[in-house]
Amino acid sequence: MSARRHNRPPSLTVVAASAAEVPFRTSGGLDWSKLMARAQDGDRQAYRMLLEDLAPYLRSIAIRCFKQPNDVEDAVQDVLMTVHMVRHAYDPSRPFGPWLLAIANRRMIDRLRRETRKKAREIALSTEHETFSAPATNLNEAEFDAAALSEAIERLPPEQQRAIQMLKLNEMSLKEAAAASGRSITALKVATHRAIKSLRKMFRQQGQRS
Amino acid sequence: MKTPDLIDTLVDSAMPVGRLRPPLVRAALWLLFAVLVLVVLTVAHGVRPDLSERLRQPTFAVGMFGALATGVLAAVASFKVSLPDSSRSWLLLPLPALILWVSTIGYGCLTDWVSMGPNGVRMGEAVRCFATLLLTSAPLSIAMLVMVRYAALLRPTAVCMSGGLAVAAMTSIALSLLHELDATVMILIWNLGSAALIAGLASVFGRSLLAWIALPLTPTALRSS
Repeated sequence: MSARRHNRPPSLTVVAASAAEVPFRTSGGLDWSKLMARAQDGDRQAYRMLLEDLAPYLRSIAIRCFKQPNDVEDAVQDVLMTVHMVRHAYDPSRPFGPWLLAIANRRMIDRLRRETRKKAREIALSTEHETFSAPATNLNEAEFDAAALSEAIERLPPEQQRAIQMLKLNEMSLKEAAAASGRSITALKVATHRAIKSLRKMFRQQGQRS
Repeated sequence: MKTPDLIDTLVDSAMPVGRLRPPLVRAALWLLFAVLVLVVLTVAHGVRPDLSERLRQPTFAVGMFGALATGVLAAVASFKVSLPDSSRSWLLLPLPALILWVSTIGYGCLTDWVSMGPNGVRMGEAVRCFATLLLTSAPLSIAMLVMVRYAALLRPTAVCMSGGLAVAAMTSIALSLLHELDATVMILIWNLGSAALIAGLASVFGRSLLAWIALPLTPTALRSS
């Protein structure tokens, strides 16, 4: 008998040893109760196996209560942390499932309550919400300004139009603009000055009308 | 933080833990502590002079028995309910004793009100009563909070309520043993009022107090988050 035991291939011994280490239930899953009992005694490997095995189970419970994947994961983590904090309260002679389920239900109900309270008090702020009551402050300014400006520039005399386009919109220097248009720097300066003056006048009139 | 990272942190911070004793044993320990507090107070203050005479009166005796039973059963209930997998119906355990206790207070109050005027107790006695109240309820409350601190995450309100009731009943026994409170209004204020006050304070502040006492249970790495 003993000779036969000695002749066993080493791999079999290893499998037998690991089977003794990892407790299984008759149904095939890990025996959580035994793993928790070992974790209470300080066996970190058993504790890791337990927590890693609990996570997907808890996720399947959390998915029924929460829609967002982030919320589901938060709930799972909350339950895992609670299990960690109250692990000394588990009595290995009692079944682990109901103990875990009671904790999970408790924490998830607490979370749902907190969320409902939060939803009742807070509203997410979006761009559609007005910040000021005056209508002018809530207009989409950038688009409005660009459209109004290009329209106003089109109404200027061609000479001023060109000067504004080159010096202000295309941001050319006076020298570059003079070279491109074949006009003197002074003439360009005067045209720009007049253009800005008439634009200012146009917008002021528009503002008064509105 | 992702769940695998959290598991890593929890596993790293997992030290061997001592398992909790069965709830009945823990309730017995708490009651032993309560008896100790009562004995110390009795030795320091001395029992009321008319105790043996009063104990012969059925109302007083039944009231004392009711308070004692409420204290014992409420303590058992709070230790039972503090465990996550036990039924919530344990909270109903002290109810019959509580009804008995409260009904004798009410009855004594009514008969005394009819038989004599409200001129029984001097201020000095009231102050001493208050000292007894504090000296009994403070250590018992602290002991209870520390013993059920892990319930902060599970059933804080239920545990605080029944724990508060146990403390209140024990305080009431101390008051009845040590002080001559024959005036009707004072009986009502001290017995029922202090009981309601302690139970009320326990359910209002118990939750946050429990959470504070339970803070060391959180792994250090996760405490700030």
